Amino acid sequence: MSSTKLLMTFPVSATSHTLVEYRERGGYATLEKVLRQMTPTQVNDEITASGIQGRGGAAFPMGRKWGVIHLNDGQPHYLCANADEGEPGTFKDRWILENAPHLLVESMVIAAYALQVRNAFVYMRGEFDLPYRRLAASVDEAYEAGYLGERILGTDVSCDLVIYRGAGSYVCGEASALLTSIEGRKPYPRNRPPRLTVRGLYQRPTVVNNVETLANIVGIVANGAQAFRAVGTAKNPGTRLISISGHICRPGVYEIEVGYPWSKFIYEDCGGVRGGRQLKAVIPGGISTKVLTAAEIEPLHLDNQEVEAAGSSLGSGGMIVIAEGTCMVRLLQVMLRFYHHESCGQCTPCREGMGWLHRIIDRVVAGDGRPEDIERLYQISAWNDGTTICGMGDAAGYATSGILNKFRDEFEYYIDNKRSRLHGNLECLASS
Amino acid sequence: MPRIFINGQPIDAEPQHTVMEAARANGVVIPYFCWHPQLSIAGNCRICAIQIEDRSWVEIACNMPVSEGLRVLTDSDQVKAYRKSIMQLMTLNHPVDCGICDKAGECTLQDYHYLYNGSPSLSRDVKVRSTKFHPLSERIVLDNERCILCSRCVRFTREISKSNALGIIQRGDASLVRAAEDRPLDADPYSDNVIDICPVGALLSRSFLYKSRVWYLQPTPSICPGCARGCTVNIWHRKAEWKLNALDPAKNVRIERVTPLENPSVNGPWICNKGRDLVQIFERPRAEHAMQKGGLVDLEAAIRSARRLIDEAAHPVALVSNWGSNEELAAFRQALGARFTTLVKQDWAVQPGERIEDDLLIRADKNPNTLAARALFPIADDGGALDGATDLVLVWGEGFDFERVPRGAVIIVLNAYVQPENGHADVFIPVSIQTERRGHYTNFQGTVSAFEPCFPKKPSIADAEALFAALAIPEVEPA
Amino acid sequence: MKDLVAEFDAIRARFPAGFDSSLVVPFLRRIQEDRGYVADSDIDALVDYLCVPRIQIEEVLSYYTQFRRKPIGRWHVQACRNVSCSLLGADRIVDHLTQRLRIRPGETTGDGRFTLSTVECLASCGTAPVVMINETCHECVTPQKLDALLEALT
Repeated sequence: MSSTKLLMTFPVSATSHTLVEYRERGGYATLEKVLRQMTPTQVNDEITASGIQGRGGAAFPMGRKWGVIHLNDGQPHYLCANADEGEPGTFKDRWILENAPHLLVESMVIAAYALQVRNAFVYMRGEFDLPYRRLAASVDEAYEAGYLGERILGTDVSCDLVIYRGAGSYVCGEASALLTSIEGRKPYPRNRPPRLTVRGLYQRPTVVNNVETLANIVGIVANGAQAFRAVGTAKNPGTRLISISGHICRPGVYEIEVGYPWSKFIYEDCGGVRGGRQLKAVIPGGISTKVLTAAEIEPLHLDNQEVEAAGSSLGSGGMIVIAEGTCMVRLLQVMLRFYHHESCGQCTPCREGMGWLHRIIDRVVAGDGRPEDIERLYQISAWNDGTTICGMGDAAGYATSGILNKFRDEFEYYIDNKRSRLHGNLECLASS
Repeated sequence: MPRIFINGQPIDAEPQHTVMEAARANGVVIPYFCWHPQLSIAGNCRICAIQIEDRSWVEIACNMPVSEGLRVLTDSDQVKAYRKSIMQLMTLNHPVDCGICDKAGECTLQDYHYLYNGSPSLSRDVKVRSTKFHPLSERIVLDNERCILCSRCVRFTREISKSNALGIIQRGDASLVRAAEDRPLDADPYSDNVIDICPVGALLSRSFLYKSRVWYLQPTPSICPGCARGCTVNIWHRKAEWKLNALDPAKNVRIERVTPLENPSVNGPWICNKGRDLVQIFERPRAEHAMQKGGLVDLEAAIRSARRLIDEAAHPVALVSNWGSNEELAAFRQALGARFTTLVKQDWAVQPGERIEDDLLIRADKNPNTLAARALFPIADDGGALDGATDLVLVWGEGFDFERVPRGAVIIVLNAYVQPENGHADVFIPVSIQTERRGHYTNFQGTVSAFEPCFPKKPSIADAEALFAALAIPEVEPA
Repeated sequence: MKDLVAEFDAIRARFPAGFDSSLVVPFLRRIQEDRGYVADSDIDALVDYLCVPRIQIEEVLSYYTQFRRKPIGRWHVQACRNVSCSLLGADRIVDHLTQRLRIRPGETTGDGRFTLSTVECLASCGTAPVVMINETCHECVTPQKLDALLEALT
């Protein structure tokens, strides 16, 4: 395992998330330095210089997003941490919320200072229980200790942090829907323009960043942008938290330097495929990224440039390992059922398209598929590519076309023979 | 003024416009379902998507700001193919109800199917079923299968009528337009506008349901007399060449429905529900024959009697109708203004339960032509007792309390509708209504609008304009 | 909702001025925590307290999966059926729960103890299969573990 860690830098224990232990590790010293010695512009510059990309799935450079906020424009600005973590396969923000909540709090106060934000929010999916309790306790501790509230650390900087809990909707992980949810209304995503950094929460300039992206702020400001850039690759500096699951021996959250060899990660660090099976495929970064075969990932490194060149993306870092013997037709069915359930229904291609995709795959799995179904799945995916209000339509299209591209023969077999070539297996209990 | 290029043609656009608005202002047609010039941008139907030159993808035009040098294509092959795909998706679960749907003939989905080369459905799966005949309010019926979830109706109730009556519940393809559960749509006096703006046959008028195919009807421009706003409307009735061969001739001379006639200076594209219900005003029982003290006489005889009574009167008082047209009121003044002490009567007052006034359309004065009447006859009727010396009262129109007539005075009534007082008058002459003639009203802001005749007038009924001139001719006793 | 007003006033004070509309979701959650679901009278009370249109609350209640307008069983057994959990046997787990509780997903046991649902990804894929019972996430579940869990719940 690569030794460079920026986030998972301490052993997790029953108390490692508390303020006491966080301070022992140097916590809140950076906040102090920022408030006493740096200007908001200096913080912004450091973030921009670091080149850090968003770790929620879209990989948008954080400095560029922050740069749209006009300091001293006389209007309220808002900061929201995206803790919705709804992308299936992803559970790495959960690690931060449960084990390093103060890292997030400190990072957010620094960000709030840099962006002139008086009121910050953490939007957390409603299903999170322990993450909520840990973060809520940390926020209380931070208020007590004077790191949040009026006149932080005796300066004239004030910041309030509210945890806003969702109530069950994947679409709330989309930044504009997230803000509409915080507004207490039904969370439809919004068309752009305007960008959220121009008109966001209650039509005010708002920055929405992923939890992991934000959590890197303390380190970047403490050690400087160059130290951050020394890790990872030129285009994608730093580390990534990868949450790996599926047919893998040692599932969990791992921190890797960007550029780490993929095969090494799977076979050495994570113990290889369960049950001694062969690797069939890997979904690199959440089910909305295109699946890659075992052969394709073999020479690759965990670096978005390489993965994109291979036709996929590291996305949200939610890696799912699939062993030989898994029926990809049934797997796609699980995914399309998900997208159909989660479509908000606002725009035509997604609302009608998700239902259509789902009905087709259900028919195929039930043994009633038709030869034209494969083309139809591709066509509906194409109709959703880049033409919907938010990226969910595209995502379903990537999942569908990705699996069809690599495993078309399984679908053809299923349609011709009215059954799965692999007995409909998803679980792969017995060894091959 | 940013210069943009649409299909290669240069256009000088307003700086705050979207490409959709710039295109429309310059005669370029971009299709749309959810966009509406008076409502906020929803951007959900996606059919307005166009292509910026040199880009390989399409983007919606309704939310695309104009910028200097922007070059767009609204009819490229890619745009055409995309429109076809949106039509395919929109009709995926749309029921093939055209044969029984009131919207046929004025349905945007039908029109675009033809215009944009819609094809039969590629789906081999059953359509999503949903509620049909859902009573959204007492007046409006909703078919959720036909609904394309454009949200125009929802935005109307939030942004224009501000009743917040409608919303979309649930999600995905199970989404449903619904009224809030405390039934605020029934209390929204502008509710029926959502029927007009619904691009498909999802929202329909219950009073018009199944009455007629729209292509058998013609719209005649008119003015709603319900208040001093004077919204211009279309009154729909059967085309002469499509008359019904029914035993009851009344079926061919009735008002089938009323819709707004768009008018930027008065009501925009909206009217209130009272204007939809003009049948309740115009199709009340009509007075059709002249009378003297309740006995039927022919029109000429009645006119002669009236003339004689007017000649003989020492102190005649007239109460003119503020439902009279500009022409009729002018004719009264011309012919009889010198002879009579003339007061302007308030024909209609606010009815119980009726909204009095708001800042959208509705005005407290429930009469169409008060401004013109008061301009010609400065004295308003205060509703009190008439001068004791009055020996003749001429009442034109409705809303008069006959208790106010001094004992012994002669009464002449000119009215269109049946009322018991018609039979008690010394002379009663029936007059025509707005839908039987042309004329003008002046609204409370001084804007003059025109109305056209929809139906023929019966011969036994007089036209007030000509009648006044006739009443002014001195009656010459036959030698 | 009356007895929650003091608590609501305190929560409202933590939000910036002008954010009353935002309070819809946290207040509905709190109401549901107490009552087990959101009643029509709760909606009326919330409309009065926050001055938001009633339709906004109705939309929000109908849209989010975690809000209910009808009571369910004392224990809400929610089994994830998404990709990673399926790869680790979610189908078997759902089948087991269906047989053990003798109800299908979406139904409630006759004694009102258990409601069974299938849900989407709970973001704990590393410990699949995952079953959430009320607020608690149970990881790496097996039929045996589930039996023991359900046994202990009255």
